[in-house]
Amino acid sequence: MRIPAPLRAPYERWLVRRLPSARRVVLNQKRIFIFPTGYGFFYLLVAGLLFIGGINYENNLILALSFLLASLFMVAILHTYRNLSGLGLRNGDSESGFAGEEGALEVVLFSRRRDHHCIVLQWKGQDAQQVSVNGGEETSLWLNLPLAARGRVFAPRLKVQSRFPLGLLRAWSYVTLDHYCLAWPVPETSRDCPADGGRENQQAASSGRSGNEEYMGLRDYVPGDSLRKIDWKGYARGRGLNTKQFEEPVGGRLWLRWDRLQGIPEERRLSILCHWVLVLDQQHQPYGLTLPGLKLAPDSGDAHRWRALDALASYPEFN
Amino acid sequence: MRVYQVPSHTRLWLALAVVMASLPQLLRGPEWQALLLVVVVGIRWLVDRQRLSLPGRITRSLLLVVAVALTFYSFGRLYGPEAGVALLVSLFALKYLEVVRQRDAYVVVVLGYFVCATALLFAMTPLMFAYVLLCMTMLTTCLAGINHSDTRASRFRHLGRAGAMVLQAIPLTIALFILVPRVAPLWNMQLDSGKARTGMSDSMSPGEISDLSESSELAFRVAFEGAVPPPQERYWRGLTLTHYDGRTWQQGIPRGMTEADYLYTGGGNIPDWFQALRSARTAGQSYRYQVIAEPTQRRWLFALAVPFPDFRNEVGLARDMRLVADKPVSQRFAYQVESVPAARPAMALDGRERDLMLSLPPEAGGKARGLAQQWRLESTSDRAIVERALRHFRDNPFHYTLRPPRLVTDPVDDFLFRTRRGFCEHYASSFTFLMRAAGVPARVVVGYQGGERNELGDHLLIRQYDAHAWAEVWLQGQGWTRVDPTAAVAPERIELGLRGALQDSEEGTVLDNLELSSFAGSGVLGKLSQWADYVDFRWQTWVLGYDSAFQSAFLASVLGEVTPMRVGLALVLTVAGLLAVYALFLLWQAGQESLTVMEREYWRLHRKASDKGRPLPTGLTPQQLSHAIGEQWPRAASAATDWARYYQRLHYDPDHKPENKQIRHLRSLRNRLYKLLD
Repeated sequence: MRIPAPLRAPYERWLVRRLPSARRVVLNQKRIFIFPTGYGFFYLLVAGLLFIGGINYENNLILALSFLLASLFMVAILHTYRNLSGLGLRNGDSESGFAGEEGALEVVLFSRRRDHHCIVLQWKGQDAQQVSVNGGEETSLWLNLPLAARGRVFAPRLKVQSRFPLGLLRAWSYVTLDHYCLAWPVPETSRDCPADGGRENQQAASSGRSGNEEYMGLRDYVPGDSLRKIDWKGYARGRGLNTKQFEEPVGGRLWLRWDRLQGIPEERRLSILCHWVLVLDQQHQPYGLTLPGLKLAPDSGDAHRWRALDALASYPEFN
Repeated sequence: MRVYQVPSHTRLWLALAVVMASLPQLLRGPEWQALLLVVVVGIRWLVDRQRLSLPGRITRSLLLVVAVALTFYSFGRLYGPEAGVALLVSLFALKYLEVVRQRDAYVVVVLGYFVCATALLFAMTPLMFAYVLLCMTMLTTCLAGINHSDTRASRFRHLGRAGAMVLQAIPLTIALFILVPRVAPLWNMQLDSGKARTGMSDSMSPGEISDLSESSELAFRVAFEGAVPPPQERYWRGLTLTHYDGRTWQQGIPRGMTEADYLYTGGGNIPDWFQALRSARTAGQSYRYQVIAEPTQRRWLFALAVPFPDFRNEVGLARDMRLVADKPVSQRFAYQVESVPAARPAMALDGRERDLMLSLPPEAGGKARGLAQQWRLESTSDRAIVERALRHFRDNPFHYTLRPPRLVTDPVDDFLFRTRRGFCEHYASSFTFLMRAAGVPARVVVGYQGGERNELGDHLLIRQYDAHAWAEVWLQGQGWTRVDPTAAVAPERIELGLRGALQDSEEGTVLDNLELSSFAGSGVLGKLSQWADYVDFRWQTWVLGYDSAFQSAFLASVLGEVTPMRVGLALVLTVAGLLAVYALFLLWQAGQESLTVMEREYWRLHRKASDKGRPLPTGLTPQQLSHAIGEQWPRAASAATDWARYYQRLHYDPDHKPENKQIRHLRSLRNRLYKLLD
């Protein structure tokens, strides 16, 4: 449904007031709108034609048939409403990405008792996805989100709609989940590594881990440890998953520093840091990161890289 | 918009709905329609199993052309009810053939509604309506199926869902049916099914009524309000026959009279004769009743003597005291009548009318004329002549029989003096002839006599074999008086009916084939047929006969006064009430996110504090809530702390649940706190 331009802004304000964002929303009569579909209007037209036919042929049974169609329509209002009512939505996971690419947000649909069939979820201007939720179960759905600029990209207003069961009416609701995706800065290559500490701070080129670090021993694998540090030989011998530990080299760790990029605009600073996070990660070099208000201790591995990227994306507000 | 193929779990329902909705027409229409549907369903079946690709545009167009051509071949035209419905059903089948997308399926469903409606044009029985309801359930099942795009959906769930929805819709439908005002037709679309029916014709020649007596078809039903006349008074007058050519009696209008003089249809100028009749309406006993006539394709109607119709039923009154419909009765037709037997004398005999009622063909019945002249000379009054004639029939060896011998030369003399064996029509005819010959104005009346009573519905059934003919003579001071010469010959014919009269004779066997169709059939069958008739009668009066007159009468009895306001209000309230009940039933969720007593206590305070001051975040502990209140309203700080402390003591004590007394105390703490929040 298109809303005329002059009414658009007040309508949006009204929607925001009526449907505030939340982490968890259960659809109820305050949130559900319902209106006949094109086919619903056509169906009513048919009922009207049968009514006229019944009157003109003075045939009470055809009249009764037209009343039956009208009654079915009224009953369908309740059933269509019921299919959305009681459906819950809450935040799920999120998948970050570089600015300009796409991230994804997980929306979890849950229902206490009733089955909800053929629910269509859609963000404005994107392809819809359809899902059914059984009573007492949860179903999750990943919705793609274009990441326009670095930072937090909040979930846009989600349209939840359904034509079930007869397709005569469409029930819909707008849900704004208090949910966001992080858009990492776009990496920008720079010659100089904005880092200090470590043996090399000009050009990170190394010939392998053992050059930097002293092998210290094994500890139990913790999810997030770099796969390259796992003692695969031991695993093959049946000793379970263990992670090799290395001693810090004497020269100390590499610290990527915000304040080493003075005189460069903020976004570019973040882009350069991002580039070096990726380069160092590729080389399996442990690195730390300092940003105003945040300090990430040196480490390496996938989890560390994500932490660093997320920190760069969330700047200047971390939580 | 996304385009769905019709889900595979719905295909069966779609096929079933198409076949079921078409079935009434397939049984009624030409055979090629059934063949077409079989072909279409077969192709569809193969297509759905990927054994065949969907017929292309050319094949489909070809099929369409063939269907149209065959329709034209079968009916000679493409319009009109029969051909139109046949065409619609063919299109329905062809549209089903080309279903690919959801939109096509929608179109098939909508066409299905129209096909169902046309089935009701030709058969209005309760059974057909029940069948149409079943078809509607099928079509709704299809709708539920095409809107369920999960491929794993169970097909029987669709049926269950649609069935539940139709069941919920039926009470609403009944409410709408009763309350939605009936509008007069916007334009006239009388449907003439064109079938010849058995029934009375507009003339009477020998043998005509005795033919009728072999049919047990229903002629009409009568439901009385109040008094019911005794069997010997149940003479349902249909036509008066006044012109005799020696063999056949026909209707005639007195010379110089126009139909406008003769027939009064309400409103406008009231003719003198109707004014006279109307003034006598209150004289003596009256019977009020409703007649539901079966279609006759004729305009005349049946009623007891001196009927006063309800002119709103589109029924007029003719000068010979019979009812005439505005249009030929092509469907079952109900009309209200009040009959006042005592109003007969009010009807005067016009001079021109008198001439007609005395006219005889010059050449016929020479001997009979002689007899009549003799009576005239020997009698002092018309009344005495009538008595004399009846005595003649009684005293001479006249015999009542369904199979009279043929009358060869002069039907009047032949019957009166030679064969003396005849049926009611012979007696009525010859009696009227004798009366006219003796100078007493007389006419033949044909109609029905008697009627069988349905104990369940308390209504009378008049069947074709109740057809009867009698005479009316005009007597000074008494007006048109009924004389039934058959009663003089065979009184049991009048008291027991035709079957009673012929039971013991050898002719009883003729009626054996009527046995089952009458309630007199003993035991279970008789009871069953009473029930079947009762259902049919009620369907007729309450459903098919629910027109605007019936509706306003019914609504007046329920609502008191019928105003548009009241009817509208009743309609809205009934529909809203039903929907509210459904909503409760459908949306009720046991164990819905119900709060415990303690949770409710917490949220009440939270809401109050948020309303009165700054909105508070959710997710506060009771302690934090009391702090937040204390910050905003320092005066209330200590009361808030008291509340929080007591709350925690009750809520977090693992050993026992809070008692009512304690909750009441908590509530009083909260109320005390409320007073401090200003």
